[in-house]
Amino acid sequence: MRLTDLLRVSMRQVLRHRRRYLGVVLAIAFGTAGVITIITMGRQFKYNINQDLDLLGKVTVIRFRFDNEKASRFQWFRPEAAAAVSRLPGVQAVSLLGAHKAPVVWRDQRQSLTVFGVDEFFWEVNNYKPLNGALIGPEAVAGRQRVCVVGADQAEKLFGKHDVAGLFLEIHYDLYRIIGVLEEAVPDSLSQAVFVPLTTFQDRLPGAALPATLFVRCHTWDDVPFLAANVPKVVQSLQEAENLQVDVRWWVWNRTVRIAWWVEFFVHMAVGVTLVLGGVGVWNIMMAAVRSRTREIGLKKAMGAEDHDIMAQFLTESLCLSLGAAILGVAAGRLAVEIVGQVMGTRPPESLFFISVGLSLLFALVIGVGAGLYPSLQASRMNVVEATRYE
Amino acid sequence: MSKAAVAPKIGRPYLIEVRGLTKEYRNGAGVITVLRDVNLQVTPGEIIAIMGPSGSGKSTLLYILGLLLPPTLGSYTFAGQDVLSLDRRGQAEFRRHKVGFVFQSCDLLENSTVYENLEFPLIYAGEDRQTRPAKILAALERVNLSHRVYHNANHLSGGEKQRVAVARALVNEPRVILADEPTGQLDHDNSQQIMDYFQKIIATGETAVVVVTHDPEIAARCSRIHTLRDGLL
Ligand SMILES: Nc1ncnc2c1ncn2[C@@H]1O[C@H](COP(=O)(O)OP(=O)(O)OP(=O)(O)O)[C@@H](O)[C@H]1O
Ligand SMILES: [Mg+2]
Repeated sequence: MRLTDLLRVSMRQVLRHRRRYLGVVLAIAFGTAGVITIITMGRQFKYNINQDLDLLGKVTVIRFRFDNEKASRFQWFRPEAAAAVSRLPGVQAVSLLGAHKAPVVWRDQRQSLTVFGVDEFFWEVNNYKPLNGALIGPEAVAGRQRVCVVGADQAEKLFGKHDVAGLFLEIHYDLYRIIGVLEEAVPDSLSQAVFVPLTTFQDRLPGAALPATLFVRCHTWDDVPFLAANVPKVVQSLQEAENLQVDVRWWVWNRTVRIAWWVEFFVHMAVGVTLVLGGVGVWNIMMAAVRSRTREIGLKKAMGAEDHDIMAQFLTESLCLSLGAAILGVAAGRLAVEIVGQVMGTRPPESLFFISVGLSLLFALVIGVGAGLYPSLQASRMNVVEATRYE
Repeated sequence: MSKAAVAPKIGRPYLIEVRGLTKEYRNGAGVITVLRDVNLQVTPGEIIAIMGPSGSGKSTLLYILGLLLPPTLGSYTFAGQDVLSLDRRGQAEFRRHKVGFVFQSCDLLENSTVYENLEFPLIYAGEDRQTRPAKILAALERVNLSHRVYHNANHLSGGEKQRVAVARALVNEPRVILADEPTGQLDHDNSQQIMDYFQKIIATGETAVVVVTHDPEIAARCSRIHTLRDGLL
């Protein structure tokens, strides 16, 4: 039997009995679409949840800090170490932070405040928004501008109001233009502080005005343990690093991971069960087909079909079913991925999509052959006359 | 009783030669012997009629001749070849190229058109797709059904189904046509027409026909009549 005939005849059979096969096809298509969506968008999805969970405690932000009170020499993060860290897998963003006490003067008030030198990534890493005005951006850092951002509490204290952008503040004998006020939902120490570009900070503040803190934002919580362990190694390989401390909120992390695990578990279970049911469905429907089509099998054998012709036909039918369903599922999965991408405001990662499509088709192939093999073997071994006399 | 022992004419070897054929069915109730020591010779260019009461084993004999069922005992040579010793593959090949079989219940493939029904023997025989329509149409023309080529087989009348089954047996140009009551549901005219085709086919001298029938009129048009009774031919 020729391949073209085999495909034509099998496809015809499946299409003519599409109503019988509809349930199984839908189950497999549904499962496939689920798998594709989960594989393609899973990471994006987790990342989005992370951002939403930030209010509860920053599970995915790791703080690395040199404890300079214990150190024999002042320790700080070199730019090349930060750059190397940002290239580690699972790193979403890194930010350097320096802190220094400095005299701050507004009119006749003079106080000693904590001044933070930050890069433009600080806000993104910690998911901080301005209350008004702007935060320190890349131009301010690159241009070593004398601009500053004031914490909300401090703005209240110094000026009695929050709307202070455009005013000038004297920090360590230099005048800085205020460009914005940081939102209120931040730790106290930040709300009381003043922020200047890290470059300006290093230029203009006295003594060891250098970044001794490094924030690493992980892509998802799954990356946290790896990065907590490996960032210090990377740093140590590039510079001296004594008394490097790692701050992770492990208890929050543990809970988040546990909840996420359960959610993931249920989603995967649902998809897995759907696919297994699809496989069992194909098996079942092919067994039923072999039983109800005994006459046809006998007839075809009487017309000269060999065992392997019959077997090939049933196997191809089962493959047509499962692959057809998978192709349907891929289309539905693509649609779902596009929709989820729209909702989350990201482009779906194409490479993951194609990997998931490959996996789905492979799986369909396995289901088709696996579930179709035994029934088609049975069909091919059938005795001709018994088959034709079957009622 | 039997004229089968008559020697073939010189230069005309047997197409089918069956000796000592015995068939027993075994089931829960015990052993039923349907055929006992049956001998049968068929030369090309003959139409043989097999008659006999219901349950006498006519269909069984035909199945054995078509290699659809193995006999319990006996030998069967087809064109000089011992076909009982063929493996499953060889038997399928034999059915594909040498035999056209018309089932008593004139089974057609369900949910398929007349064309598709006739196409399968050609598919299995490895016939080119381009040359199939001509053969299918020719076979249908012989049974007056060329106007039903693309009809659904389920929607045909009983007689039409039977004629399609005959056409399907013809389409591969087999050496022998084994027809189990091919005219059982046909009126007089159509029955006679089928016999006309059978006679046209054997006129080439290459082909033989074995017909199981209850109809004496049909039997009268055959070269020889065999009657099965109590498993004996
Ligand atoms: N698989 C089987 N198992 C047991 N007995 C069988 C089997 N097949 C046929 N028989 C019996 O063998 C006998 C002959 O059957 P067969 O079909 O050959 O008869 P027939 O001469 O074609 O009858 P009819 O004219 O009614 O078609 C019957 O008695 C039948 O019951
Ligand atoms: Mg019969």
